Amino acid sequence: MANGTWKIARRGNTQLPLVIVLALAVALVLLGKAQANLFDRARTTIIDRLQPVLVVVHTPVVQFDRWIGSIDELFTVYRENLALKDENARLKQWRNVAVVMQDRVKRYQALLHAVPDPDIHSVLTQVIGRANRPFLQTMILDAGSASNVKPGQAVVDARGMIGRIYLTGQHTSWVILLTDLNSRIPVTVAPGNHQAMMVGDNTAMPTLDTMSQTVTLHAGDQVVSSGDGGLLPPGLPVGTVVSQGGQYRVALLSDAASAQDVEILAFRKPPEQLPTDAQSQLPAVAAGLKPAAPPPPAPASATPAQPAQVAAAHPKPAAPKVAPPAATATPPAPATAPPAETAAPQATSPNSSETSADQTDQDR
Amino acid sequence: MEFSDRMGQWMSGRLLSALVPVLCGFIAVLFSNLPLSFTNGLVPAPLLALVPIYFWCLVRPDLMTPAAVFGIGLLQDIMAGGPPGIWTLSFVVTYAVIERQREAFAGLSGLAAILGFATASLVATACAYATVALYYWHLPPVAPIVAELVVTVLFYIPGVFVTGVVHRRLVGPLRSDF
Repeated sequence: MANGTWKIARRGNTQLPLVIVLALAVALVLLGKAQANLFDRARTTIIDRLQPVLVVVHTPVVQFDRWIGSIDELFTVYRENLALKDENARLKQWRNVAVVMQDRVKRYQALLHAVPDPDIHSVLTQVIGRANRPFLQTMILDAGSASNVKPGQAVVDARGMIGRIYLTGQHTSWVILLTDLNSRIPVTVAPGNHQAMMVGDNTAMPTLDTMSQTVTLHAGDQVVSSGDGGLLPPGLPVGTVVSQGGQYRVALLSDAASAQDVEILAFRKPPEQLPTDAQSQLPAVAAGLKPAAPPPPAPASATPAQPAQVAAAHPKPAAPKVAPPAATATPPAPATAPPAETAAPQATSPNSSETSADQTDQDR
Repeated sequence: MEFSDRMGQWMSGRLLSALVPVLCGFIAVLFSNLPLSFTNGLVPAPLLALVPIYFWCLVRPDLMTPAAVFGIGLLQDIMAGGPPGIWTLSFVVTYAVIERQREAFAGLSGLAAILGFATASLVATACAYATVALYYWHLPPVAPIVAELVVTVLFYIPGVFVTGVVHRRLVGPLRSDF
């Protein structure tokens, strides 16, 4: 086509040799493998700049999509209406059941003094772009780090989880969909609470890798996020198990292709607290060495409990030799360790120190 | 004075015509990577940047240099959001293949020219697929990349029409220099 119309020019002599450019391209791939977020800043900057345009252009595109879709729906609208009415009646029944169950769970939690579920803040935002590439399935949201959106946060629509944030700009963020090649989500399959890893492979239904080979799943089992790793909240609805070609897959509840308004869940697992009675749980004598004595009473500005715990948690062999006299009066814990509340006051009292010292001699 | 003005115009025109193929490549990358889909994501976006690369590599390789192809591939990598360097390497490898078989590709016309472009697209997508397979150390599904290849080839006809018009209007007048 080209040769018939235009004269072919000769090659330029000043061009960079092809071999060097090829080597640079290979080096770029290797560099990208070592540092996968090589272009992240450039990507977010470009999309941030395009954000006003995308917001404006996205609306007519969505309207066009809906119009195209509505042509097909015209032929099935009556049948679909009947099915929706039927489904609505069933959902109302389930709603009543859910309300009763929720109330019952709250009462059980109160009876058991269960740790309440953490509050999850969310950011409601709009999808302003979608990209379906051979090696990346993503959507772009109209909220970024300015709205406290952070990488790793879960993105859900009204039906279930869609994906998670993997890149944030100032005013936009990129979502890696559950179906994407790079998506790996720890999930729980109920009933049975089987732990599994849901792995995207660029098909509509991600695969399910169970942790145990002996686990047998069934079609229709519910898949929810397990919360392992602390990034995603546990119990987010994801989908249902489908058996396909001897492999377990997940039919997702959410529809990433049609979702317009989504929520970004700002979940953060609370940091694990050290137990307050760590000292009492230590063995009286470990490897022939007694626990280190708590330090002398701290000044008023310091908190007394923390240093004692730290000292008890890390007994040093040399501590008894160099410890001050008050420290030697630390009562050696009996075989069944007493509660810390009773041991601590003894160390500060001179009388009890003598008693403790006598007891130490008896133990020896 | 008149002579220098004419020289200035000639030089600026020459510079513009030299930049046009690369700019067309960049614009094609931006267009094909806009995160908008009229098909709800069912049809992947074509690799529009391959059209100017293929076209000017055959017609004016002095304007579509390996460095220019590297730059276009780099922008494609940034915009596409996949693993870094995949499309840069694919475009450069494709350029190398076209450049080696330039006489054969340039001799094609009509349907054969489309098949020639399809061959170049096949090289690009196969290279990208192989690189991603090595990158993740497992074979990704073939269907998305095949869909990308088909859509890219389908877009060649309108793409080469636009490229041809741009060449005639902006680059073409200077082709007699070579």
